[in-house]
Amino acid sequence: MTQPRPKADVELPEFLGGATGDVARAPRRAVTPSAGHIPGEAGLWIFLFGDMTIFAAIMLAFLWDRRADVEGFEEASHQLIQPIGAVNTLVLLLSSFLVVRALFAHRAARYVTARRMIVGAIVCAAVFAGLKAVEYYSEISAGHTPATGQFFTFYFILTGLHLVHVIVGTALLAAWQLMCLRRRPWSAVQRIVEGIACYWHMVDLLWVAIFAIVYLVSAE
Amino acid sequence: MTKRILSLCAWSGPATVVLALIGWLVAGVLPIPLGPDSSMQEVVDFYGQTRVLVGMSIASVAICLVFPLIAVIGVHMVRMEGRTPILTFLQLITGAATGVLLLLPMLLMAVIGFRPDRNPELTVTLNDIAWLMFITPIAPFIIQNVAIGVAILNDERRTLPRWVGYVNFWIAISFLPDPLAFFFHSGPFAWRGIFIFWLALTTYAVFLVVMGVMLRKAIVEEYSDRDESRITATAT
Repeated sequence: MTQPRPKADVELPEFLGGATGDVARAPRRAVTPSAGHIPGEAGLWIFLFGDMTIFAAIMLAFLWDRRADVEGFEEASHQLIQPIGAVNTLVLLLSSFLVVRALFAHRAARYVTARRMIVGAIVCAAVFAGLKAVEYYSEISAGHTPATGQFFTFYFILTGLHLVHVIVGTALLAAWQLMCLRRRPWSAVQRIVEGIACYWHMVDLLWVAIFAIVYLVSAE
Repeated sequence: MTKRILSLCAWSGPATVVLALIGWLVAGVLPIPLGPDSSMQEVVDFYGQTRVLVGMSIASVAICLVFPLIAVIGVHMVRMEGRTPILTFLQLITGAATGVLLLLPMLLMAVIGFRPDRNPELTVTLNDIAWLMFITPIAPFIIQNVAIGVAILNDERRTLPRWVGYVNFWIAISFLPDPLAFFFHSGPFAWRGIFIFWLALTTYAVFLVVMGVMLRKAIVEEYSDRDESRITATAT
């Protein structure tokens, strides 16, 4: 008597539900344990340094163009709302502190504390984005668009790219929040969580550099 | 046999870079491409040269060598993902789109060189279309890189080393400034600017070379493991 064969027996490619098992699967690569600890993992830092290099190059181009027109850049930078920039710097520094607290809490398996800290950091990110929107609105309504001269071109590109990073970072923080909600143990998510925290610190660091160069140095 | 085909597909990544660069050098796109601020005369003179047709013919063939690379990336991503290879499909779909998006501007530039004695304004417009189409459609590239990166980082078997995943994320980020090419006619954010053409060219070349070399390494390791297990099996 022939029974209808279960689907898994049909010769389908593995990914369409065919035979499972480790046919044609490369064995696990041996992991060499290394002394010392890199936050996240070594590969993460290729991304972080690569990203910071792009920002650094744009800042260098900004400073290069500034040499040709110091007065113009000074005048334009006075049109920026410095207090908003300063508050945003503090907001991001606070968010970085909260991320550190959250990481320690998660490591100690205090999930509720970690979640509170992460929510705090996400609120900081929202405040940052809100203030940035207010700033953009007031600048554009005052007639300063990316097309009004070199300074504002760089200003909008640098802060715009940074804002994209803030949005990506907020999504990552939300993912971390989910991990805490599901009480994922530290050992299982250490690399990812440390990666998210490092990414967030990079976003903070980039803003500090942008604030210093665009808001402060140019105004001198 | 399979191993040889897989290896050839992996090598097609670095080959794309070398052959496309040769094509662009022959065409005169490199070392310094036409920019949005090039005068009408410069643009018309550029497309009047026969070398453009030769170079673009080479480049249009060379750029299609990304397709075998995308296929071999797909094969390895299926192994990473197992039963529900959604990222694999995403990579294959967007990868196919990126190939077409790279190919079309090459063909368009050859078409411009086909009748260089047309109305110069048309030549300038066609040149704008070719370049902006070449530079600005970043989303398929970014989705492809992110899909590859996520698949590598979620893969517990470490088919590819994890840093390759992070390199893919970095490459995705490096394409972000490219739509700015619509807004600038000169300077570092114009289409031939350092943060647009040169940055994207560099990181995409890194993508093709790194993926090609690391996949080739993975293929060699996989097959050497298989040979070893076959030898031990026959010995016992």
